[in-house]
Formats: sequence, C-alpha cells, structure tokens
Amino acid sequence: MRELTEEEAKVLFSKLANYTGRSLNNLIAPPEGDQTERHVFRLQGSRVFYLPLRLANYATSIPRANLLSAGTIIGKFTKTMKFRLHITALSVIAPHSRYKVWIKANGEMPFLYGGNVLKAHAARWSEDCPEHSGVIVYSMNDEPLGFGVTARSTAEAKKLEPTGIVVFRQADAGEYLREEDSLFTA
Amino acid sequence: MAPTKGSSKGPSSGGASKGAKSPKGSKPAGMSSSSRVSKPSGKKGAKRPPPQEVKSKARTAPEMLAKKKKRVYTEAELDLPKLNQITPVGVVKPKGKKKGKVFVDDQEGMMTILAMVNAEKEGQIESKMMKARQLEEIREAKRAEAEARMNEKKSKLDAVKDSIRNKKKNKGGKDKASESSSASRSTSDSKPVKSKRKSVSFA
Repeated sequence: MRELTEEEAKVLFSKLANYTGRSLNNLIAPPEGDQTERHVFRLQGSRVFYLPLRLANYATSIPRANLLSAGTIIGKFTKTMKFRLHITALSVIAPHSRYKVWIKANGEMPFLYGGNVLKAHAARWSEDCPEHSGVIVYSMNDEPLGFGVTARSTAEAKKLEPTGIVVFRQADAGEYLREEDSLFTA
Repeated sequence: MAPTKGSSKGPSSGGASKGAKSPKGSKPAGMSSSSRVSKPSGKKGAKRPPPQEVKSKARTAPEMLAKKKKRVYTEAELDLPKLNQITPVGVVKPKGKKKGKVFVDDQEGMMTILAMVNAEKEGQIESKMMKARQLEEIREAKRAEAEARMNEKKSKLDAVKDSIRNKKKNKGGKDKASESSSASRSTSDSKPVKSKRKSVSFA
C-alpha cells in the first residue's frame, strides 16, 4: 500500500471531478484540522482505497501480499493509466454530486440490472446539465443507486421520445451482486 | 630501454650541437646565439642521459592530459541537429535527479492538484454549456426560419387557390349570367334541369 504519485492523483481527481463539484475538497480536507483523522488515498496493486490516515498507518504493518483491502475501494487504474470508478465509490461521491437524475420506481429495476436510463424512467434531472457529463442516479426517495454519463443535455432530453436513452450507465448498485467475485479481489 | 633511447637521442643532441655550431659560423647574428653556444658546450659530457628521461616524461604526461581536456566537447558546442543525437528530444533526464516515483501525500500538494483539476473541469463544462447554448440558438433560428418559409408557402398556395376559386366563381357567375340571359332569351326549361342535376350529384 503506497501513496499516489502526482500523475496518479491527477488522473484520479479528474475522474472524481466528473461527478462532483467543488466540494470534492472536503474529501481530503481534515475535519477541523485534525491531521490523524484526515482521509487519504492509497494504492494497493492497481486499486485505489480511500481511508482515514490512522488506518492507513496501521496498514503498513501488514505485508503487501497479504493485504486484501482497507477502507473504501474507489476504483482501479487500468494498464493504460486510466482510472475506472467502482460502484463502491458511490458513497464517497454521492454527497458531493454535481448533477443528479431521479428515476421512477418502475425504472429502478432495469437500471439495477445494468440497463441505461430511458427518458420514460427519468422523473426529473438537474437543470443546465451538458451532455456527456457525469451524473449520480437517485431513486425517488433520494437513495443513490449508481452513476452514469448523460447521453443528452437537459434541453435536448426534454424533446427526446420516451424510449430514448438519457443516461448511459457506468455503475449501479446491482454490481454488488453481479460482480461479487471480482469486485473486491484482484 | 633506457640505453636504446639514449642511443637514439644521441644523434639529436648531436644535431643540437650542430645547430650550435652553425651559429658559430654566423657570428654577427647576435648575443643570444652566442649564449646558446656556450650552454650546450658546457653540459655536453655529463647531461646526455638525464635530459632524455625528462623529455620523455614531459611529452607523455602533461601534453596528453592537455589534449584530452581540450577534446571534450559539450553537445551545445558540437551544434548537431537535434534529430541526429543518440537520445531523442524530451527523453533526456537530468543527471542528478532521484530515481523512482515522487509521491504526493501532504495535504497542500493534494489540494493544489485538486484545485488545478477542478479549474480545468469547470472550464470544460463551461465551454460545453456555451457550445450547447450556441447550438440551441442556431437550431432555434433555423426552426423559426423554416416555419416562416412554410407559412409563406402556405399563404402563397392559399392565395393561388383563392385566385383560382375567384376565377372559377367569376367564370361561373359570368356563365350563369350569360346562361341566364341566354336562357331568359331562348328557353326557360334548361335551367331548372341543370340545378336539379347538381343537387342530385352533391346529395
């Protein structure tokens, strides 16, 4: 488990900034100046974990080969040094989301089974959302279900037919079951 | 080795002595020549071996060193075209730099990176929005133009239709008038028959 290099940090943050606004600063800012309680990003293998510094310091006492996981998995670096967010990052990015889409109850199941969000299923969405920008998908009772990328801007989506896709799925909570075998192990 | 060198150098010293002899022949050359002559003549007997050794050392050590130092060029001095070098441009790394990765763990470093990334992202989003707005405006303008054109076409068509109708009406009126006049003139039986026919066809 090691710290991120400058380049890696840049890649990671630019990915996170797709989905979050300026409040992303709160992720690494310590709560009221307490240095031991600040959260850090750590790399283990190709996976990036988000955990309190205190825990990260404990983790140094475990051999690298034996350390499976610590804190929250944010995602992993591909071999081409791109970053792929996992569904586990949802709890980290959802409170800081920039754009949101709420889907109706009849659209929840299709989304959780890995489908894209259709216009007929989208109840409402953030105003002034450009196309191809990251959005967090919420259920009608404000539970985050996953995240994706907008297929159309808000203005264009209004004119779209009901069967048209508004959000391309990137990750959904159904992955906890579908990807159970590979989500936490390398 | 030394004796052979000595033997080889012997003639050279002899040559020097010859050189010394020649100024003897040309006496009016100057004071320096006379002093030269006096030196070798005084040392001739004893100094043959030692100067040889000194000379050989002097040739090898200082001269060679000097030459080596002079022949080391920097790349800038050589003025080679950049593509002709062994290391490609941009790959050259500074020599004294530490190997390996440079980690960022301090909060300030992370914050600066985050701020940079955020600014970049916001710029991108802003430009996207601007672009979308412009496209929307263009689309709106096009739609308005198309609508106006359609309306114009429709009104033109309507006008043409109206004119045709009017013509027909006028013609019909004229015909009727003429017919009525003619009927009134000629016979009164033909008109009611025609009107009956029309009513039948429409009903």
